[in-house]
Amino acid sequence: MVTTDERPGGAQRSAEEERLLARRRRETRNRWIWRITGYLVVLLVWEYGFQWFMELVSGRALNDALLPGPRRILATFPTLLEDAELFTNFGATLTRIGVGFGFSFIAGSLIGLFAQNRWLDNFFRDIVVVSLTSPGLVWALTGLIIWGFKPLGWIFAIFMTTFALVSTNISEGVRALPKDLLDMSKAFGVSAMDRQRHIVIPHLAPYIFTAIRFGFSIAWKVTVLTEVFSSNEGIGFQMRVSSQLFRLDEFFTWVMSFFVFALFMEKVVLQKFEDRYFRWRQEVSVS
Amino acid sequence: MTTATIPTGHNALTGFFKKSWVARTLMPIAIIIIWYIVFYTLDSRIFVPPHKVFAFMWDELTLNTPLRYGSVKSSLYGMFGITIFRLFTGFTVAMIAGTLIGLAMGLSKSVNAFFHDWVMAILAMPALVWGLFLGLVFGFGHQAPIYACILAGIPFVIVNVREGVRNTPKELFDMARAFGVPQNHITRNVLLPSLMPFFFAAVRYAFSVGWKGLVIAEVFGADTGMGWTIKFWYDAHRTQGVIGYGLFFVIFALALEKLVFEPLAARSFKWRPRIGDIGVVEEKFILDPTIDGAGEAEYAREGGLDG
Repeated sequence: MVTTDERPGGAQRSAEEERLLARRRRETRNRWIWRITGYLVVLLVWEYGFQWFMELVSGRALNDALLPGPRRILATFPTLLEDAELFTNFGATLTRIGVGFGFSFIAGSLIGLFAQNRWLDNFFRDIVVVSLTSPGLVWALTGLIIWGFKPLGWIFAIFMTTFALVSTNISEGVRALPKDLLDMSKAFGVSAMDRQRHIVIPHLAPYIFTAIRFGFSIAWKVTVLTEVFSSNEGIGFQMRVSSQLFRLDEFFTWVMSFFVFALFMEKVVLQKFEDRYFRWRQEVSVS
Repeated sequence: MTTATIPTGHNALTGFFKKSWVARTLMPIAIIIIWYIVFYTLDSRIFVPPHKVFAFMWDELTLNTPLRYGSVKSSLYGMFGITIFRLFTGFTVAMIAGTLIGLAMGLSKSVNAFFHDWVMAILAMPALVWGLFLGLVFGFGHQAPIYACILAGIPFVIVNVREGVRNTPKELFDMARAFGVPQNHITRNVLLPSLMPFFFAAVRYAFSVGWKGLVIAEVFGADTGMGWTIKFWYDAHRTQGVIGYGLFFVIFALALEKLVFEPLAARSFKWRPRIGDIGVVEEKFILDPTIDGAGEAEYAREGGLDG
């Protein structure tokens, strides 16, 4: 940052460092203050201003149950925990995500690896584009029409919406493989297995992590959608039921609880894995 | 192939199959064959073979559907028009508001800290939530789908614009100031051009995500539009309607991409040596996941392509 006219004199540098450190500390404190203010403002507006705003926009006063504030949502949460509904529904949704995304991850990786071949790349290009541009709704409904409530229906829907994402990420990684390192390892007689283990996989790892992160976030959204149409349990099903019963407090409790869970999975669990995997890289410690 | 009888026929044939356009046309053919196989092995009463879907799409294009299915009053063009009106309204609002918030977030760290978590929260919310919730609050009509479209699209605009502001080259600003260039020239010649690739990424993703959100909201919160029509054909057990409208959707998205976004991008990047620079920007993010905030921009770019 301020390295341009820093002289190698010891005392001066420490003063400079001191100043920098103080500034950074101030910035961190500032950031936290603003972040907490943001939370407070949004929650307060949600609790008190929302009703007023909606009345302004829609021109009619709305029932409290239709616009639950954060307090009411928090109060509803224990009732869901008591019925132990939460865990069965989480389990159902996670199973769907796991199975559906598992399939699409395997197939997507294979298609991504196939992209090294120009012919296969051309062969798969259009289906990838179609998968990226078409709405999940069509796949959810089509899967349901073809296979009914059978697992193949929702697997198909999740597969069709997420495999293209995995394959584009992986093929991007494959395209950026360090050719010189591969050539060198070949010249020095490194075995194919070692080459995969020490060059190809470490190189592809960030792409794989990106693919998993995006894939998970999208698989979640599509899974919820398939559950609305073809399930008798799961978060999506509960969302539909509670919205049909005009219980929006329950609706938001379901949404929020799974939302927090998904954020946790993504930001904490996956991040931990990633940090652990990339420990050997120096850039991580710098930033 | 009659050429197969000539001694060089084998080579000619493999050469023919190696052509890239042949590879591309083989995919739809393979899909149609698989489709027929599924159709004949499945013994489902509502699943339809491809030719019925194409016949349906032709009927829709020539406005013959009401003749074939007596009770249908809607037409493809009418529904498309309604959806596009909603899409453009929502998209415009999302672009304007998102650009303002994104600029503020990129320029000030405090504003960034204020909005950041909530933008990420809206980004990670499935469109289904907006569809169900807004459908209940506003009832059937234009409002719920338009708001859903705004909410689905705005985080992508914000994140991309913010990333664009952060990526403006500091040296160029310093140099411009050192040489006494007036502020409006700096804005026009330095800030805007460097923002452009990010802005275009924002437009594209806001469009595709906003549209997908809109369709889902139309299922639950509207009685007109593309999403409602898809649900209508689903409820009527007419598979050709669901798949046919899905294909219309894809065709329209591709046409928009090829006819509007690509020429527009090409025109505004004329000053650049390479047109593929947008791709380079994105690649840089993927290659370097350690840059602060890069993961989020990436997330916004890639994560948006869903239902």
